[in-house]
Amino acid sequence: MQSFPVNGYDMAYLEIGEGRPLVCVHGTLGDFRTWYSVLGPLSKNHRVISVSLRHFFPEHWDAIGDDYKMAQHVADTIAFIEQVEPGPVDLMGHSRGGHIAFRVAQTRPDLLRKLVLAEPGGDLDASLPLPEGTPAYPPLAAKTIRSVEMIRAGDIEGALQNFYEGIEGDGSWRRVPAAAKQQLRDNTPTLLGQINEQRRPYTLADAQAIRTPTLLIGGGATTGSLSLMWRVLAEHIKGAQTAVIPNAGHWMFEQAPQEFGDVVSRFLAE
Amino acid sequence: MIAPSLRHFFPAKWDGVGDTYSIAQHVSHVIAFIETLDLGPVDLMGHSRGGHICFRVAQQRPDLLRRLVLAEPGGELDASLDPDYVGGPSPLLARFTASAAKIAAGDVDGGLAVFVDTLEGAGTWPRLPAMVKQNLRDNAYTLIGQVRDNRPPFSKADAESIKMPTLFILGARTKGLLPKVLHALAAHVPYSKTAIIPNATHPMFEQAPQKYSEVVLDFLAS
Repeated sequence: MQSFPVNGYDMAYLEIGEGRPLVCVHGTLGDFRTWYSVLGPLSKNHRVISVSLRHFFPEHWDAIGDDYKMAQHVADTIAFIEQVEPGPVDLMGHSRGGHIAFRVAQTRPDLLRKLVLAEPGGDLDASLPLPEGTPAYPPLAAKTIRSVEMIRAGDIEGALQNFYEGIEGDGSWRRVPAAAKQQLRDNTPTLLGQINEQRRPYTLADAQAIRTPTLLIGGGATTGSLSLMWRVLAEHIKGAQTAVIPNAGHWMFEQAPQEFGDVVSRFLAE
Repeated sequence: MIAPSLRHFFPAKWDGVGDTYSIAQHVSHVIAFIETLDLGPVDLMGHSRGGHICFRVAQQRPDLLRRLVLAEPGGELDASLDPDYVGGPSPLLARFTASAAKIAAGDVDGGLAVFVDTLEGAGTWPRLPAMVKQNLRDNAYTLIGQVRDNRPPFSKADAESIKMPTLFILGARTKGLLPKVLHALAAHVPYSKTAIIPNATHPMFEQAPQKYSEVVLDFLAS
């Protein structure tokens, strides 16, 4: 692990492999270990730089302070990338980290060569309607609020299960490998920050503003709003490519590391 | 916490060629690594073949270590530790050699299946989480070096020569040679104790990370 100061915070990261820099941003309850399964496949052709955002592991955050905000994490990611040589870099984000990567591409396209969004998180505003006949899914934010209540009541395991099954469906938590569970558990306090992170929904204008060549990746088995959002965004990001990882859910790179690595490497090599 | 990758392991991409992969070599590297840290005596923890390496470090350079943690150390027992000793190569070597041959021929997953099923029981490989499989895959070629390595077995005198406080950790459901080796060593390492992780096998820290960490932290704090 290495680190350097970013906006007054010592930001930790892993750096493995040689080649063009590929900066990877984890999602909710993740950290630089989110990408462990694909460090092998991706580092064959890239200098993989996997960051831990402010207040995620290896920090053991006390959840005090008001600097866990979407805008702060976007600003931190920008300031981090500004220090990576040589630029422009390839940027990949998963889930909430996909949201961050999207905002970086919107704000600072000059820093990026290519963009990979693996089931980016967030909400769509009225300018980005879902296709006709799509069932309505409850927003994940409600699940997050419930999980925070459980954390405050001391039920960490219940909170994680509630959050995870909100994404992957009832009964999915018990099938998660213990190592993956532990990684989420290590980041439990960040959920307390996340309920007031002030994330704005995606708009049509936001999607149309992305000029960076973009690949959106979904898991073939993902259900709920996360399975829809990337498809809607892909419709409106100019020249966007898409890929589906069969038989994989939201954490598709853990479930199919070789397939995920192949898809990403092919896109970055084009 | 400092977690090195030994020579030829990920992130290196080794092709399995050359004689630079052996217990002796890795032991000397770990010793040099700890010396270079220059932190004074450190706590040293090793798993499986890494446990074998840490045991040999403790034997050769007790001055570098404060405490020793061996999670199912790998290796063989000689006649002084095993009443059933018959000599010759490890009973597992033929299986591991078959595994390495498959990997060298390009069948990485097939080779790893043989390796994992030998240690953990037939049918284990298909049930492993994909993330665990990938970690093994990234290091598959090291098995080619490993089957060429002629490591000496543990003896009673080896075990008795370990002088620092030592914790052995066993997965309650591990079968075969690994528990036998652990119990034989634990019986003769003077200041040792053994902790058992319930419902876990050889990669017990992946399967029960909280329990494993508790056991290690308790030992290091005691």
